[in-house]
Amino acid sequence: MFGSILNLFGRSPFAPLQSHMEKVAACIHLLVDLFQALEKRDAVALEKIATQIADFEHQADIMKNDIRNHLPKSLFLPIDRGYLLEILNTQDRIADKAEDVAVLVTLKPIELQPLFSSEFKDFLDKTIIAFEGAHKIIKEMHELLESSFGGIEAEKVRTMVEDVSFKEHQVDLSQRQLLKKIFHAENEMSYTTFHLWQKICEALASISNLSEALALRIRMTLEIK
Amino acid sequence: MSLEMLLLILVILAGGYMAWNIGANDVANAMGTSVGSGALSLRQAVIIAAILEFSGAFFFGSHVSETIQKGIVDSNIFANPLTIVYGMLSALLAAGLWLQIASYYGWPVSTTHSIIGAVVGFGTIVGGFEAVYWENVAFIASSWLLSPILGGILSFVIFSSLRRYIFYAQNPVNAAKRITPALVFCLLFILVLLLLYKGLSNVELNLNFLQSIGISLISGALGFALCQLCLHAVTLAPNKPITAPSEYQPEVSNQLEKAKKHLLQVQAASRGVIQYQASELLEEIDMLSESLKQKEASGRESAEYAVVEKIFGYLQVMSACLMAFAHGANDVANAIGPLSAAIDILTTGFISDKASVPTWTLGLGGIGIVIGLATWGWRVIETIGKKITELTPTRGFSAEFGAAATILLASRLGLPISTTHTLVGSVIGVGLARGIEALDLRTTRHIFISWIITIPAGAILSIVFFYLFKIIF
Repeated sequence: MFGSILNLFGRSPFAPLQSHMEKVAACIHLLVDLFQALEKRDAVALEKIATQIADFEHQADIMKNDIRNHLPKSLFLPIDRGYLLEILNTQDRIADKAEDVAVLVTLKPIELQPLFSSEFKDFLDKTIIAFEGAHKIIKEMHELLESSFGGIEAEKVRTMVEDVSFKEHQVDLSQRQLLKKIFHAENEMSYTTFHLWQKICEALASISNLSEALALRIRMTLEIK
Repeated sequence: MSLEMLLLILVILAGGYMAWNIGANDVANAMGTSVGSGALSLRQAVIIAAILEFSGAFFFGSHVSETIQKGIVDSNIFANPLTIVYGMLSALLAAGLWLQIASYYGWPVSTTHSIIGAVVGFGTIVGGFEAVYWENVAFIASSWLLSPILGGILSFVIFSSLRRYIFYAQNPVNAAKRITPALVFCLLFILVLLLLYKGLSNVELNLNFLQSIGISLISGALGFALCQLCLHAVTLAPNKPITAPSEYQPEVSNQLEKAKKHLLQVQAASRGVIQYQASELLEEIDMLSESLKQKEASGRESAEYAVVEKIFGYLQVMSACLMAFAHGANDVANAIGPLSAAIDILTTGFISDKASVPTWTLGLGGIGIVIGLATWGWRVIETIGKKITELTPTRGFSAEFGAAATILLASRLGLPISTTHTLVGSVIGVGLARGIEALDLRTTRHIFISWIITIPAGAILSIVFFYLFKIIF
């Protein structure tokens, strides 16, 4: 009899959603170490960090599937199921992109040329800052649940979302500077290396784009009058 | 005479067993959430539940008991009064047995549904189709559908308004302080009125409408004053951590404002590239001060929500008490209704026209519930309290209050409804107001199925018991 009250509470997907994001964050923060190793030309550390990123990405994948499998049709959530799954999917794609970067960097021996190294570091830093904005919003999920996605808490998250959009824009500006430098340096490297750097930039840029998309997804769950 | 004496003892034992069952299993509904949220310790919860369950049963239990006693089966159709005694005894045993089976397998059945099923089953088979007041039964059955819906709607409205006026306010603590006493006043006024106005007939307390209103107003005002006092105590203590944000002193943002002012002067005095760079810097300063403000605000907000939850922790104790009272008032009838029907015949020797529930039987039911609570129920409260973390005080208050008000209203109307199912409806109501992280709605299907199965199961078991008694005596 009392059991029916307890059975009413399904397994909440929000805490697992947050820990999935923590795994994604672990992938993203390893990118800093990855490029430091590249700069120091430490091939052993580079391999090791790349494997570690792949590991974290795999763990995030497992968590994602676990969350999905525990969302039966009968589960009623305070936000739309579709939004929840899209948030999860976007988080997971960020980890995928980090893994892509790690793979690209280890495909062939390349080096971070001094010609564009400072621009590259700026680009990487800003990418991580943009991602951190989205990460913080996911951390606010608990408070959002507490205030049922409205009120001053929702207002606060809304400004955080705008902040992420702005940071994404700054990443775009930084990327433009970096690309200019890379094209200037095209004679200094082989075509494959040049192409590889293009791909790395692309993958890194999509991290901030996805972070912005994630923030906007959460914006859609808010109840703001 | 010795047969009647034996039957009397048997009936009292069966009624006591039923009351024990109710106390052991269902009281957790009322107290589990308060223990879970830490507002009450287990010992406090058990003592409060015992007192309120008993008073609910004793003072307010007669309405529903009368319905079960006289409102379902037409006693005049039976030639031999003892048939009814056997019937009610069978119904009690059938319902008790069915509940034990259901508890063993963990099915969400209701004590109310099993006893009504048992009484209706015995009445139809033994007395014939016309022995049952089908309009009354239909009315009761419709109340089983309506009570979870009404509880859900009430809880939805209560939680939505708490959200609207407290959580969405600029300063949640002040809003809670302003609204809570008024809330307490309204609650007490309505409930005391519900109880007093022609409600307490079995203790010879018949007040007229004006007297009832007067007493209700007084108790409402008392609640208001008490609430003000409590709020004063709660909100004085946690003031310090709110006003002292550790790392971001107010000077920092002042200094930022100064820097901004100087930069504005630079921007105004220069042109070209320098002007552009100055405006860039200004933008960055704006961002910095914005993020500082956010950090300050977020620290304050979490603390504020915590204070609001603390205030509602006390309110939740109140709603839990109400729930225990309402539960005692409604569910004691499941044991006492059939019991008093049998006792009426055994002591007077004939079937009286008017339903009469002796006060001492209500006391017996109350004691049975308290014993059930003391021997087994506290363990259930402990388990359920440990598991319910999903219901924070505001949510628990909304759910319990919606359910308790519905149950009291039904008790006042003499309708035997399922307290568990009403509470389930209320929790879903809070969930629909985006209050609960995840609700598994499969439970509603289980409840509906067990609802359908319980009635024939109770009926068949009571018929089996009836013919068994026929053979024995």
